[in-house]
This record gives sequence, structure tokens and C-alpha cells, in this order.
Amino acid sequence: MRSLIVAAAALTAGAFNPALAQDAYVVGITAALTGPPASTYAPAVDALRIYIDRVNATGGINGKKVNLIIQDDSAEPSKAAANAKKLLTQDNVVLLLDASLSSTYAPVVAEAKGAGVPLVFASSVCPKDVYPPANEGQFCTTAFASTYDSRAALAFVKESAKEPVKIGFAAMAIPLSRGEMEFAAKQAPELGMTALAIEVIPPPTADYTPFATKLKDAGANWVFSWAPWVTQVRTFEALRRLDWKGDYIAWSHLEAEGELKRIKDSHLYVVGANALFEDKLPIQKEIADAAQKAGGKYPPEQMTEGWIAGMVIEAALKGAGWPATPAKIQASMQNLKVDLKGLRGGPIEWTKDNHFRTKQYYRVYKWDGSKVALVKNWYPYDVK
Amino acid sequence: MQLAVNIVVLSAIYALIACGYVLIYRVSRVLNLAHGELMMLGAYLLLATAASFAGNPVAAIAAAVVLSLAVGILVYVFLMRKMTGEMVLAAVLTTVALGTLLRGLMVLIWSAQQQYPGQALGFDNPAIALPGGGRISTFAAILVVTTALVYTGLFVFLRFGRWGVRMRAAGQNPLLAAQRGINLHAVYALAWGLSTLTGSMAGMLIALDSGLTSSMTVIGLKAFPAALVGGLDSLVGALVGALIIGAAEVLSIQYVDPLLSDVVPFLVLIAMLIVRPWGLFGTREELDRV
Repeated sequence: MRSLIVAAAALTAGAFNPALAQDAYVVGITAALTGPPASTYAPAVDALRIYIDRVNATGGINGKKVNLIIQDDSAEPSKAAANAKKLLTQDNVVLLLDASLSSTYAPVVAEAKGAGVPLVFASSVCPKDVYPPANEGQFCTTAFASTYDSRAALAFVKESAKEPVKIGFAAMAIPLSRGEMEFAAKQAPELGMTALAIEVIPPPTADYTPFATKLKDAGANWVFSWAPWVTQVRTFEALRRLDWKGDYIAWSHLEAEGELKRIKDSHLYVVGANALFEDKLPIQKEIADAAQKAGGKYPPEQMTEGWIAGMVIEAALKGAGWPATPAKIQASMQNLKVDLKGLRGGPIEWTKDNHFRTKQYYRVYKWDGSKVALVKNWYPYDVK
Repeated sequence: MQLAVNIVVLSAIYALIACGYVLIYRVSRVLNLAHGELMMLGAYLLLATAASFAGNPVAAIAAAVVLSLAVGILVYVFLMRKMTGEMVLAAVLTTVALGTLLRGLMVLIWSAQQQYPGQALGFDNPAIALPGGGRISTFAAILVVTTALVYTGLFVFLRFGRWGVRMRAAGQNPLLAAQRGINLHAVYALAWGLSTLTGSMAGMLIALDSGLTSSMTVIGLKAFPAALVGGLDSLVGALVGALIIGAAEVLSIQYVDPLLSDVVPFLVLIAMLIVRPWGLFGTREELDRV
């Protein structure tokens, strides 16, 4: 009960005293730890916390600890704005992170820009400003990338389909997901597919069957969904309950690996930019061990996004030296290359003009009857 | 046929949730805006009992049901009872605060990730083929049957049951009821218990059907228009309101625009508030008092 009270206090009041931070790199994050989309962000933030604790336990960066201040915004723009203001003006963070819904971006960007502090989007979708030509103060470590993800998914569908493709789309009723599905619906005919309706599903929905009924009735033999996991998986399961026999491809969110094992359907594919833990990479074992040691609340396979954000922040702070200023950290991030040790198909490489990555790699996985199996190995797209 | 099945399932979900709003309002004139959170708490309690009674799903479900009833009673005893004699608005705001507290606590205890109580209990959820080509999942079918049983049970209880009659009396005239020796606190506690129980049953069945996330509370809120359209102090109204809202939502998905499904319940509600503010089966005087 005591730990619960401490955690509650941390969630509501900020976890650390800024006075303790004078001799440390102070990094702040506003994150959707509660609220409807929390399942996408909270595991990543937990992983980031574990990563930073681990860095601190081994001597910190450039001999200095990192003070990570976590603030919950419940995915609400007004709370995110208040968090950003508090982190920038009271805690004097030298680096700000946003791990929340895209609706929080505008106020957080405005606060960070006003304070001249670089902003990293970690586990939340990368905004246009990080693609070339990038805004000088905004960076992104997140795996998913609008338009590239649809191209990768549709390329896989085209390659693997054995009959003419009639493809339906399932989006969540949020601008980003809808926009991506509209983009995919325009791309599909260019690849020789018949694009059917886009089902835009409100979050949350008590019953997904009415939406699935429409997709089935439209005659789809493939469905593509790029939306928060809950929309992707519940639409798929509703389709199966309607005895739909087609193939389904969805974005490989944090939950994907565990869900493939739960659902055990060999026609459910996930396309993504992170390696799943089925690969059993040394770094994945490292993540699992660290999560277990730290008593992480989430399964290790949901920690990749947060871990990558931690690796990138560590490299950026190392490059900035000590004492670090926001300007020095920004300069460090504009010339950064981080080897992700197999967690992705290539490194995160930031240049002055590109704050996303120079190449985006994709993989496709599915359940093969006994385990989660790789269906298509890394295939790259140049980010221009 | 599938269209009809979809309407029945969605209406049953809303009806099972909405009766909780009605029970409390009818007896104490309090709008419980924490009903969605209490519904979700019921689902999380099932998750907890599934872990505690591993290998014994019946015991797990029974324990979750009993705990849900107890939670409702305790909410009244330790929180809402203090609001007795205060303005109704104060009681309503207290439920808002309760909802916020519960949401935060549930994330802290059970985390924000998607959970599957059905899997924890070892249940499968196969689809059932219906005559006419429709299909329904097992737990959706159970939810429809449960809703029918709950409403039948509540009608019988309120009409013929000793405590049911006391609840109706307390709702109609609390002063007179108290003067006749009815223990109002016991009646209110029972109403809160039953309301939380029915909401929790909805939460448990939705979670068993399609999983559990911390966004379930919003589903509780979406059932609110059903209660208002039917009339906040009428169980028949809640049932009819749920059917209207469910049908409007499913038909808008099928024939107009899926995006409208989020808005349609509130459009119906606005139309009803303009034409008949006290709802289809509600009592005019009661709403005037609010």
C-alpha cells in the first residue's frame, strides 16, 4: 500500500524534487500514463525509467546522473501543456520528451520552442516536423511513421497475395489513423488492389461487430489497420467471429507479440519496425533481465520503444558533455548515430535536416502454428 | 439477420449498464457519474479473482460478483451517506471525484495494458451460428441473456419484493417512507449495491467478450443517453432507451457513416430533451426537481 501511495503521489505531483537535480542532467517527460490510450505509452515510459535508473546505477553519463521527471497528462492537451510549462520553468529541464497522443503536440511544442529546449517524441507518433527538412528543435525515436508504414504494409500484401486483393481498412476515429488509412486507400489501386471502404471506429466502442460486419459484407479478402492496438485487434477478432476467412495486417504495436501468441491465427500479420522478442537477441535478454530486476509492470516485449528512447537520450547527453545546455544537447542530437543492436533494422541516425532516421526498416511477423515467426525480413525505405 | 443481432447485442450492453444509473437515481435522485468506473472496477475484480481462484472459474466469477455488490454498498456507507441532506449537486460532484480516484487507482494496481479475464479463467469465446445466417459470440449471447434476466429480476423485485417495495417508497417520498419505519440508509445502500452489481456484470461480460482496457469507462458514459432517453427513473425506459440508442448506432454504422455512431446517441438524446425532457417513460415532476 505504501508503494501505491508513493506512486500516486509521483503521478500527481511529479516524482522528484528539482533541488536534487542541480548536479544532474534534468530530463522531463509528459506522458499518457493514464487515460484511454495509456496502454500504448505507459509501458514505454516504464522502460525508459528502468533504462535511466540503470544508467544512473552504473555511474550516469559523463559522470553525472540523469534526473528523469515523469508527469502524467492523461492524453489531455491542457494537462500536457501544464506539464511542459512546469518542467521547463520550474524543473529547468534541458531536454523535454512527449509520450502521448498527437493532440498534445501543439501546446508542448509551443512551450518547448518558447523555452529553446529540444523536444523528443518517444513512443508517440513522429510528427511531420521531424522529417526532412526537419524543424531544428524536434526529434523522434518512435518506430511508426505515417505513409511509410502503409507503403510497407501494402507492399507485403501485394507480394504475398495469391488472388486479386480486395482490401478494406480499419481506422480509429483520430486524425492520424484516419489520414493514414485514407493514404493507404489511395495507394492500394496503384498496386493493383481494389480498395474498399474505410471503417472509422470511435474509441472506445462497446461492440466492434457492426464495423466488422460492414468490412465482411463489402467482400474484403484483406484488411489493413493502422490504429491503436485495441482498434486493430478487436476489429480482427470481430471479423473472425463473423466467420470471415481473409487475411489481416496490422501495425506491430508494443502489444503485438503477446497478442499474436494469444490469438494464434496464422492469417494475422503484424508489420513493424521493431524486432520482436522471439528473435532472442542479446539486447532483448538484457531488457528482460533489467525489467525483471526493476520489477517492471509490463512484459519485456512491450519495452522496446522506451528502451530505444533511453539509448538515444544517453547518446545525446553523452555527446553534449557537461555542463549540458539545451543548445548543446540540440547540437548533439543534430549529429547523432545510435546503434540499436538489432532492435531495429538499422541505426537511428539524425542529421541537421533529418530528425527521424535516414532509412526506415520493416519486418512482418505472424503466428505460424507453434510460435511467432518471421514472415518477411527487414526491408528498407529511404526517408527523404 | 446480422444487423438485428448487432442491434440486440449493443442494446443489451447499454441496457445492462443503464439500469444502474436508473436504480440509484430512482431511489435517491443522485446521478452516479462514477458508474462507468464502477463497471470497469467489476471487470478488474474478475481479473483479480481469476488469479486468486486459478482453475476454478465459477468461484472466481461468484467472488467477483459478491465483491462488486460489496463495493457498491461500501461506496454508499463510506462516501455517499455523508452527502445525505446536502444538495443533490454536491452528491453528483462527489461521484465525479470518486470516478477520477477509481480511474487512477485501477491504472496503478492493474496497469494500463490490455487484459483478458476470459483467458485467465480458461474460457474460449467461440461464435454461435444463428438461424438466418447471423452469428454471435458466446459471451455476447450470455450478455443478452443476462440483461434479460437482470431486468426480469429487477421488475419482480421492485414489484413484489419486500425491499423492492421499500426502495420504491423511498424513491417516491423519502420523508413519508422514513416515518413509516423504512431504514432509508439501508435502502440507499442496497440501491448502490445493486447498481454497482449490474454495472459490474456488464463490465465483466464485455471484458470476457473482447478484453479489458482502462478506456472501458467511456462505454459506461455512452450508456448514459440510453437512461436519459428512456427516462431516468424508469427501468422500462432504460430498456427502451437502450434499444433506441443501440439501433440508431448500428444503423448509422451500416447505412450512413461509421463516424456518426459516436455522435448519434447524443443526437437522439438532444432530440429527446427538446421534445420530451423527462424521457419516454420518465416522470415529469421528478425531472423538474433536478
